[in-house]
Amino acid sequence: MNVEQYISSGILEAYALGELPEQERLEVERNLKLYPELRKELALIEETQEKLLIKAGISPKPSVKKSLFAKIDAADRGAKVVQLPPAEGGSAFWKFAAAASIAVALITSYLAYDYRDKWKKTEDNLAELTAQNQQMATDYNTVNQRLDQIENDLRVTNNPDFNRILLRGTPNAPGSLASVYWNEKTKEVFLSIQDLKELAQENQYQLWAIIDGKPVDAGVFDSNFKGLLKMKDIGSGAATFAVTIEPRGGRQTPSLETMQVAGNVVKG
Amino acid sequence: MEYLYDHYAGALLGVVARILRKEELAEEVLQDVFLKIWDRIDSYDAGKGRLFTWMLNIARNQAIDKTRSKEFSKGKKTGDIDNYVNRIENEGFVEQKVEAIGLQNLLNTLPEDQRFIIDQHYLKGYTQAEIAEEFNLPLGTVKTRMRLAMKELRNLLK
Repeated sequence: MNVEQYISSGILEAYALGELPEQERLEVERNLKLYPELRKELALIEETQEKLLIKAGISPKPSVKKSLFAKIDAADRGAKVVQLPPAEGGSAFWKFAAAASIAVALITSYLAYDYRDKWKKTEDNLAELTAQNQQMATDYNTVNQRLDQIENDLRVTNNPDFNRILLRGTPNAPGSLASVYWNEKTKEVFLSIQDLKELAQENQYQLWAIIDGKPVDAGVFDSNFKGLLKMKDIGSGAATFAVTIEPRGGRQTPSLETMQVAGNVVKG
Repeated sequence: MEYLYDHYAGALLGVVARILRKEELAEEVLQDVFLKIWDRIDSYDAGKGRLFTWMLNIARNQAIDKTRSKEFSKGKKTGDIDNYVNRIENEGFVEQKVEAIGLQNLLNTLPEDQRFIIDQHYLKGYTQAEIAEEFNLPLGTVKTRMRLAMKELRNLLK
């Protein structure tokens, strides 16, 4: 490194001003250790800076000093005690004391080791228990949500205003079975699946209500849900409910040839 | 501690006041600075520089932190460095007045471009980066001018 050039770049001044970013500051500190010329130069810069700033100083009011030292006293920072190492002594007492301290140190370090070991084990156990606890909480939440859903479903199936329509399999799918719960007053429609085959990813089931001979869209669904699924509202006059297979997202008009299940409304 | 205060409080208040430009706030910050110095004196490492430089950096950082605080931005517009000039000139700080005039004369002997950098930094409280940005100078130029000025002052202040 060219020390002259380094100095004349003004980097030491910037260092003395505390204006260097962390990385450059560390670099300067490294170089200061390596080059005595830099240390000498920095000392001169700092001296000049100090003289200049003392000249440019502004005396604080006497009250500032009073208040500051009151704060120092109040915080009991007034006495910083530095513990000095005890003077050497050759008496038997000191030998005994030294032996005793070594014994205490040995016992203490054994105990420290032992406690650390126990502490480590305890910590592991705790981590395991915490994980178990979290798993339990998750399970509990799942069960709770399922229970809430079942309670809601029961409110529908037990309500006499809901008409249950059984949708039986068509020749396309003789074993299929589903149910629609329809409340003609509130227009609400719920669907439950007893047995419908799995569909390819690009397809979805679509529920239709036939009103005055015309199919009305009642919403699309996948076959992988449990309990009751809320569908689109259907007003009065539906005579039949049917399910077809449509491209994902559904269609405006049903592909009747894919009809899976159907059932007529029986007026109670 | 009292020695440090008697010796350096003036210089540090000057630094803090030039950054904050509000007399009461500066004196409050000066107290914080000395409390901090008192707390951390054990961590001062003589290998990294003079004690004054260490204290100076604490003071500057404390003052700059203050400029970022809420308290500061509230009353920023009302205070001004002129308050200090007035105080020095009007309230009979005779000693300081003499010193201040002496300092001004001293700085006047520097070449204009160097005097400007010293003035902006040490007397107006701008950082090197701020001077570079404000006056559209490369940071390297600010640094080398500062360096030349400090070298000159070294002889003048002997």
